[in-house]
Amino acid sequence: MTSLPQRSRALGVGIGLRTAHYDELLKRERCVDWLEAHTENYLGDGGLDLHVLMRLRETYPVSLHGVGLALGSVAGFSSEHLQRVASLVRRVEPQLISEHLCWGATAGRVFNDLLPLPLTREALRLMVDRVGQMQDVLQRRVLIENISSYVCFAGDEVGEAEFLNELAARSGCGILLDVNNLYVNQRNLGVDAAAQIDAIAPQHVGEIHLAGHLVTPAVLIDHHGAQVAPQVWALYARALRRCGRVPALIEWDTDLPPLEMLLEEAALARRSYDAVESGHAALA
Amino acid sequence: MQRSLEQLQREFSAALLEPAESPAFSDAFLGRAGVDRLALYRGNIDTACQHALALAYPVVRALVGAVFFAELAIAYTHRYPSVSGDLNRFGASLAAFVATSSQAQGLPYLSDVAALEWTVHLARHAADAERLSGERVVALRPEQLLAARFELHASCCWQTSPYPIASIWLAHQAQAGEPLPRSLAQAESALIVRPRWQVQVLRASVAELAALHVLRDGGSMQTAIAAALRIDRDFDFTQTIVRWLDLAIFSAVSLD
Repeated sequence: MTSLPQRSRALGVGIGLRTAHYDELLKRERCVDWLEAHTENYLGDGGLDLHVLMRLRETYPVSLHGVGLALGSVAGFSSEHLQRVASLVRRVEPQLISEHLCWGATAGRVFNDLLPLPLTREALRLMVDRVGQMQDVLQRRVLIENISSYVCFAGDEVGEAEFLNELAARSGCGILLDVNNLYVNQRNLGVDAAAQIDAIAPQHVGEIHLAGHLVTPAVLIDHHGAQVAPQVWALYARALRRCGRVPALIEWDTDLPPLEMLLEEAALARRSYDAVESGHAALA
Repeated sequence: MQRSLEQLQREFSAALLEPAESPAFSDAFLGRAGVDRLALYRGNIDTACQHALALAYPVVRALVGAVFFAELAIAYTHRYPSVSGDLNRFGASLAAFVATSSQAQGLPYLSDVAALEWTVHLARHAADAERLSGERVVALRPEQLLAARFELHASCCWQTSPYPIASIWLAHQAQAGEPLPRSLAQAESALIVRPRWQVQVLRASVAELAALHVLRDGGSMQTAIAAALRIDRDFDFTQTIVRWLDLAIFSAVSLD
């Protein structure tokens, strides 16, 4: 699997592509390093969304970030959905392709949410198979992202970093390290985020996600609707020191602010990215 | 108790769908808070489905109000759960659900408006196609035009209803600036097209739709015009062809 096409690690810092910013992005000169689109918003045969994405890809490197494959579902995994993703990948020829370490469907029912997998050897075997299937169909290396979770399973056998390292080593996939999710899990589940970063195999990390979260009395909610928190910036700096210049992304999905605010966040992330010695990324 | 992954996911699903089932599942989690936190997942899942329905059915939502729409969405999701990782596919059966739902009794037109909105939703994502240029058609000799067969754009669709569905839909579009129809006792046919990127809904005559029906089934323009004239002796086909070209309804023409 290691021979699958792998695109550049030196993409810089991108932002999530949202409908409300279409017009401005089309009108302006190039204003950010790259764009990440949610795969499932572009699976239609045609229409405005796909048209805009195809126009923007002439200017920006594009990443397709999937939220709908629910790779770790024992029952209810849809190879038809994977085929639709493949046809979008052929059309867009994205620089990066990613999905999540999660499940989300049973036979006859899709939850349309990223549900947590127990960190067991059985789950790892299933994920290795499914990621392998995804990479076979797409003929591309994919990145798998750690999710935020509200629960921890009693039957967990390994840590999340170890799970992801093993998944990458066995399937040939890369890791999309979401440092906001690590922080949310630290607060909600007591998992040490810094220790997770220190345990991740840096050569597998192909992208970093940054986002805001919502603090509520009971839990932190990973709502992607605020600026990146100071603690998350610190984790990002730690991840960069460990992994080198890995492409990073500002995610903002709810309570969307003007484009300018996303660009300011991206510029902040870019400053830390530039501060990392460039030779560092040559690891990959 | 160590569960298999399959069993764990089955029990997790049951606990999500049936909160009463969740205590039996609490030993799967580390920490007492685990099972209570399933409520957060239930909330996320409901929100995602309601959001998807609100995007596809803005007019239904405006007609019944946000509170009633949220109730309708929950009931719908219970009866027709999502079966795709693509939420743009969620909601296809809302018209059927509304037609039989006790919640929507007293709103007899709601089901047809929902059906129209789903057609609009599909048209929004239909395949792109080159529009057939007016010059191409004008250049045809009359006998060529009559014998010609036309390919309709993938977004092109129509719907008839005993209620003024096109007028109701148009009254909810900011740019159309139309008032709500004064009477609901008025049958209407709606033509749905996407000339470029913006879906349009237009009032159409039964004769016009009869002609389009023939064309979609591969009939010639002559057969289409004859079908329209059988319904309306005054059917103005020249004007109608110009309207079709303006709306980019045709993507190709073939001359036998």
